[in-house]
Amino acid sequence: MSVDSELQTRRPIAMTGAGGAAGAGGAGASGGQATHSGHHRNEDWRKVWPFLAIFALAALLPLAGNNYWTVIATRAAIYWILVSGLNLVVGYAGQLAIGYVALLTLGAYITSVLAAGNVLPPMPPFLALICAGIGGGVFGLVVGLPALRLRTFYFAMATLGFATIVTQIALAWQDVTGGGIGLSGPAMPAPFDSEMGLFYLCLGLAVLCTLLTANIARSRYGRGLIAIRDAEVAAEASGISKVRLLSLIFIFAGVLAAVAGGLFASLQTYITPDAFTFELSVLFFIAILIGGRGSILGPLLGTIILTVLPELAAPLAAWSNFLYALMLLVIVLAAPGGIAALLDFRSRRPLPANRRIIPDAAPLDRLLSRNGKEHGRGGVGDDASNDARNHTNGSARNNVSNSAAGISLHDVVLGFGGVRAIDGLTLAITPGQVHGLIGPNGSGKTTTLNVISGYYRPQEGTLRLDGAPLPAGQPLLRAAHGIARTYQTPRIIGEASVLDNVMIGGTLHGQASFVETLLRLPRHKRDDTSLRQAAYDALQAVGLAALADARADRLQHSELRFLEIARALVLRPAFLLLDEPAAGLAAEEIRQLGELIRHISRHGTGVLLVEHHADLIFDICDHVTVLNLGRVLADGTPAQVREHKEVVSAYLGG
Amino acid sequence: MLGSIIASGLAMGAVYALIGITYNTMFATSRVMSFTAGQLGMLGGVLGSLFMLKVGLPPWLAFIATLLGCAVVGLVTELVAVRPVLKSLDQHLYVLSTLALALMIQQVTAIEWGTEPQPFPRLFNVGSGLMDEKFWLPVVACALVVLGLEYLYRRTLVGMAFLAVAEDNFAARALGLPERRLRVWSYVLAAAIGGIAGFASGQLMLAFFANGTLLNFYGFVPVALGGLGNNRGALIGGLALGLFQQAANFTVGGVFSSIAVFVLFIVVLLAVPQGLFGSATARRV
Amino acid sequence: MLTSVDESPVAASVAGSAASSAANAPASSAADDPRRAPLLTVRGLDAGYGKIGILHGIDLEVAAGEIVAILGPNGAGKSTLMRAVSGLLPLSAGSVTFAGADLSRSTPRATARAGLVHVIEGHRVFTQQSVIDNLMLAGYDAPRAERRARIEEALTFFPEIAAKRHERAGALSGGQQQMLVVAQGLVKRPRLLILDEPSAGLSPVLVDRVLSVAAQLRAQGTAIVLVEQLVEKALALADRVYALAQGRVAMQASTRESDLPARLERAYFGEHGRVANQ
Repeated sequence: MSVDSELQTRRPIAMTGAGGAAGAGGAGASGGQATHSGHHRNEDWRKVWPFLAIFALAALLPLAGNNYWTVIATRAAIYWILVSGLNLVVGYAGQLAIGYVALLTLGAYITSVLAAGNVLPPMPPFLALICAGIGGGVFGLVVGLPALRLRTFYFAMATLGFATIVTQIALAWQDVTGGGIGLSGPAMPAPFDSEMGLFYLCLGLAVLCTLLTANIARSRYGRGLIAIRDAEVAAEASGISKVRLLSLIFIFAGVLAAVAGGLFASLQTYITPDAFTFELSVLFFIAILIGGRGSILGPLLGTIILTVLPELAAPLAAWSNFLYALMLLVIVLAAPGGIAALLDFRSRRPLPANRRIIPDAAPLDRLLSRNGKEHGRGGVGDDASNDARNHTNGSARNNVSNSAAGISLHDVVLGFGGVRAIDGLTLAITPGQVHGLIGPNGSGKTTTLNVISGYYRPQEGTLRLDGAPLPAGQPLLRAAHGIARTYQTPRIIGEASVLDNVMIGGTLHGQASFVETLLRLPRHKRDDTSLRQAAYDALQAVGLAALADARADRLQHSELRFLEIARALVLRPAFLLLDEPAAGLAAEEIRQLGELIRHISRHGTGVLLVEHHADLIFDICDHVTVLNLGRVLADGTPAQVREHKEVVSAYLGG
Repeated sequence: MLGSIIASGLAMGAVYALIGITYNTMFATSRVMSFTAGQLGMLGGVLGSLFMLKVGLPPWLAFIATLLGCAVVGLVTELVAVRPVLKSLDQHLYVLSTLALALMIQQVTAIEWGTEPQPFPRLFNVGSGLMDEKFWLPVVACALVVLGLEYLYRRTLVGMAFLAVAEDNFAARALGLPERRLRVWSYVLAAAIGGIAGFASGQLMLAFFANGTLLNFYGFVPVALGGLGNNRGALIGGLALGLFQQAANFTVGGVFSSIAVFVLFIVVLLAVPQGLFGSATARRV
Repeated sequence: MLTSVDESPVAASVAGSAASSAANAPASSAADDPRRAPLLTVRGLDAGYGKIGILHGIDLEVAAGEIVAILGPNGAGKSTLMRAVSGLLPLSAGSVTFAGADLSRSTPRATARAGLVHVIEGHRVFTQQSVIDNLMLAGYDAPRAERRARIEEALTFFPEIAAKRHERAGALSGGQQQMLVVAQGLVKRPRLLILDEPSAGLSPVLVDRVLSVAAQLRAQGTAIVLVEQLVEKALALADRVYALAQGRVAMQASTRESDLPARLERAYFGEHGRVANQ
């Protein structure tokens, strides 16, 4: 069957104007494709105006003349400085750091001690604040690192323990901290020493923190955090390093929290250890969860609400902690997405009912041919440096003889507890070919995939890429080698948009550093534009472009399968591993899947297709391997395998 | 001094072990680690003091009333914080729902009962000095609970059903065991155990609302050390923790003993995330 | 084509017997025989996991005292179907009727009480408890006085494990564990017993042992639904067979028909695209 003649270039389904910001969340920017610049400006405005409104109102507050409310507003601003950073840890990365008051305490004491001159000669307050920030960064990392090893509940407990420890140290270390008596907070230099002055300082910093955290949230770092939270295995396969990303975030959040602590000490003018209660930690934590994960605006509103609530009425003040907890419970049970989800009207708009997936050849060509023949290293950035890099890679690749090109497994053995899942497997994936892998359940198909993707380490045998050994047990490195994959059960981030999910695949292509992203420097913008365009091309290629801005969990199962393929395509992979992509697909969708796979392989990608659908295998594969009980039963062209007697009986049992 | 360390260490250790068992009992049938475990310990003391000193009930009646009160809390935990969350796909929600409930319990107690530790009366007039009731009662209570659980799990059908659900939830369901009812009962049982821990340690810890957070953490350490769901590990871990803590208290003093415990906790967890007696679970890809 | 209760099922062999209906005749239906109204009726059943639809429009019938084999390649949905029938998995559409009662929305506990017992695949015994305790758990819902009697009844089928009654279930071999889970099913006194892949991981001798118990049960009037990978053994034992492929019933027939192997192969592999075009 000739695939190319059947894959006519169809016009991509027009964006129905369903683009727009992800509601009030400001979360993970979406829809701002380079091809829709008008939309882009509209969406940015829609995302930004709530913040402008809040901060404008806040700025006008002191003019009302009520000092009391100015103090409350200052406190809210300080809390927000801490919460904005913690939001990345809790809301985005999903790490339940409940004891964060520890860092507030730390920052407050460091600033106060340095400004008062108990240990070293007195420092100007701003310098003390900076030192506190540095201390906060270090301790933020210390508090956060256990998260990499501990399960959710354990980590939460550990942060609680840490919070208790810090308070106790503050009590005990009397020479430095003044123990139970406490010490005075730093006095900010004029004009910040008045109530209004301090307020505007804190407000300014709060606005700055909002910008910084929003920049991170909307970048590949933010998407990477959510990926770690909700689809860790897939994140790993895309090359997202949990250790590196979490470390950066913990340091950043720690800095912000400590600075907030210093400002807090200034606001209180005098601090004692019991100013830093467990209830305060809970307030920060709940503010984020009430606000909603994956959002900036939600937690901001949450912080404001929780700070203001006790001030509205006396009984509320007494019961405030109870109310916080009650709100948390209600949110968890009734609206787990928080305020952000409630305000997200866009995602409640119905999706077109009888939509169909229509893959398209032209965007696929555009995507995969973009950087010449090079795969996997097709980076973003200006073409000149790209070509130079391609050249070196290209030449390295060309030096490899044809016979060694591709992924090859040789006599691989892998057992689990005495049972050999793979028992002497030899297999080769050639670039530009579709290689089918079939066999009854338990024959080792998925295990083979997992060995190639690096999750399992074979006990015997070799695994090579282009002749060089591929390190086992390191799934993180596969993306860099140009190996992408999909999963038996789609692993996607339900709460993020379809486009964001696809952009995850291209994380490795980003070159802007954390700081550049923080400050939205030009390199970050170039990264973003390029990645967005590539992701959009990938979505068009698989036929899901109309759903680019929809929340991924609203998609049907078959659409999720194509979504995973789009995510893999953004990597411009040299090798694509597909784990039962046809499961749950309708007949027409299976046909389109087949065409898509053939087309991808025509661009030189080597495809390994693990499947149960015998007809799909026999239709599109150039080469088929049949596994049974971890061994190769048959190996050859589809026609050869189809005739093989043992294959038939292996399927029928006996 | 050694005598003091052993007496108070074993007593506190017994309390920690019981709270650890409370955690484990809730976990076994639901795979949920509930923040209410420590609060139940706190309620054991607070309700006991309330019924005996404020209401004037005789100790045995106050004990029953306390257990009933705790049972209700256990029931509410399952109904409100666990059952709704088990249905959803999001794993971490139970941490939040049980945390919220625990905080609510703590706050209500703080407001209604007060934030000052209240006295807890003597129950028996047996023993003094190192063998004072406040030292031996928690240990005896712990021993009785452990023996009682052994009997329950080995000799009664309900107990065997608990074990079955804990080991293989799906197979238990397929076999027709009433999974939901068993879960509810295990939460009630766990709550009663927490209540016993609090009641027996009333003299030692006083009726104090802040005991909840304290027990939450120190009751969790035996679970972390002993392995999730492992009652024997919790028992050994709890006693060891109690002794270690009191030894540190007496030798280096309050703050440093807390730090010592915390550092020990972190170090052990990082080295052996599944606990010293627990079993590792491989990651599913 | 039906076999009555008295005929030996061994006569139905894959090599075929003289009495074979045309390959395209309407599939043998239990409802045709007035002696035997179907015990279990499944109509238009759809089921899946979350968003993934696995089964589409399954129709199935089992009469009292017959053995029905469910065959099909992996991923066809055999185990999913059994779970939907016994209540372990909710139905998205369709109905399950057993002995006149609608069990479409029942829990596994309720279906077992009604007499429909599902022995799941994987011989999942409670390893930390003894053999006798595992059987006691199977009798959880039985009246206390009857429990012991039922357990002894079940053990008569499996003297091998009766001898090990006080040993920990985890210490038994795979084959013995498989016998134990079937015994657990028998403690519930099923009218219809679902055996899901009882041969998995077992040596041929043990497979025959387990399947012979199924034959004994049929002789007593218990209906059996047998999900199996070992096609030949299943066909040798069963009265009728359903072949599942990609979540649909691809074929159903009496085991007495002659060209079953070929028909099965076509059902699994499709006519190189025939299945995809359904």
